[in-house]
Amino acid sequence: MNKVLAYCAYLRHPGTSLPSSGVNGAALQEITHGELGVLYSQVEWPFDYPALQRNAVEFHRVVSHMFGQGAVAPFRLLSVFDDLQALADFLSAHHAGFVADLQRLQNVVQMECVLYFAPRAEQKPSGKEYLQRKADLLQQAEELVQSIGTALQGISKEIRVKESKNGGRIFVLVERGHEKIFRSIVQELPVPERFARRLSGPWPAAEFLSDSVKMPQIAGQR
Amino acid sequence: MPNDFEAAALTGTSEEDISLLDILDHVLNAGVVIHGSLVLSLAGVDLVYVGLNVVLTSVETALRTLAADQTKGKLR
Repeated sequence: MNKVLAYCAYLRHPGTSLPSSGVNGAALQEITHGELGVLYSQVEWPFDYPALQRNAVEFHRVVSHMFGQGAVAPFRLLSVFDDLQALADFLSAHHAGFVADLQRLQNVVQMECVLYFAPRAEQKPSGKEYLQRKADLLQQAEELVQSIGTALQGISKEIRVKESKNGGRIFVLVERGHEKIFRSIVQELPVPERFARRLSGPWPAAEFLSDSVKMPQIAGQR
Repeated sequence: MPNDFEAAALTGTSEEDISLLDILDHVLNAGVVIHGSLVLSLAGVDLVYVGLNVVLTSVETALRTLAADQTKGKLR
């Protein structure tokens, strides 16, 4: 069965270069609506599960190529359209939202700091001890997120945090070219004992897309 | 010729390498999700639905493991 796999939406500019191929070597095509472009491929669907890692890297390569030239709104890998008309209808319906988001995010990238509680190999605590420890850790994580937010005030456009049961994930919107500053600031911040820190980026500002773009309603579908 | 962003992602030339797990996490877990299409696709192909959940769970778990391993490595 053939489906239409969308990679990312972007604002078209003269001289924009397109990647040479897409997932599984599929031809890359561009569908446009005014200044908005979306890259897509016709692909065999569903993907082979064992090939999913390779598909993910190929998908990422396409999105990264476009992201290197400007803001993109990436689609998730496993989101597909039934046919080209469905993608065209989708673009027509959501054109304004995509353009507004892409203009807002034109010169920024998303940097990330993931904080994890690094558990020790030790005797299993009692239920009470476990809950107390967890509360302490959450408190420490919250303080750390606040200190990162304060330290980044000079370069961050916006910060969003997602909590997880073992720490948190901090998404920071910074101007292109400020990635190294972000890294040096966050690396220098002290992290409480038993927490691990992992930085990554630059990524497309997917966490900062508006909800109507990130999870659009599609007419006629449930 | 890959641009800087591709090079950083695919060869780990940035100061902090971008791992396959990071890539999986982002391409599967961040960005525009076509809910309607996804549901329709999944309705006909239950295997993908199961696979998607397994992958997402695995990525979360693996990222935690990776972070824990890195911490251990620094302590050694």
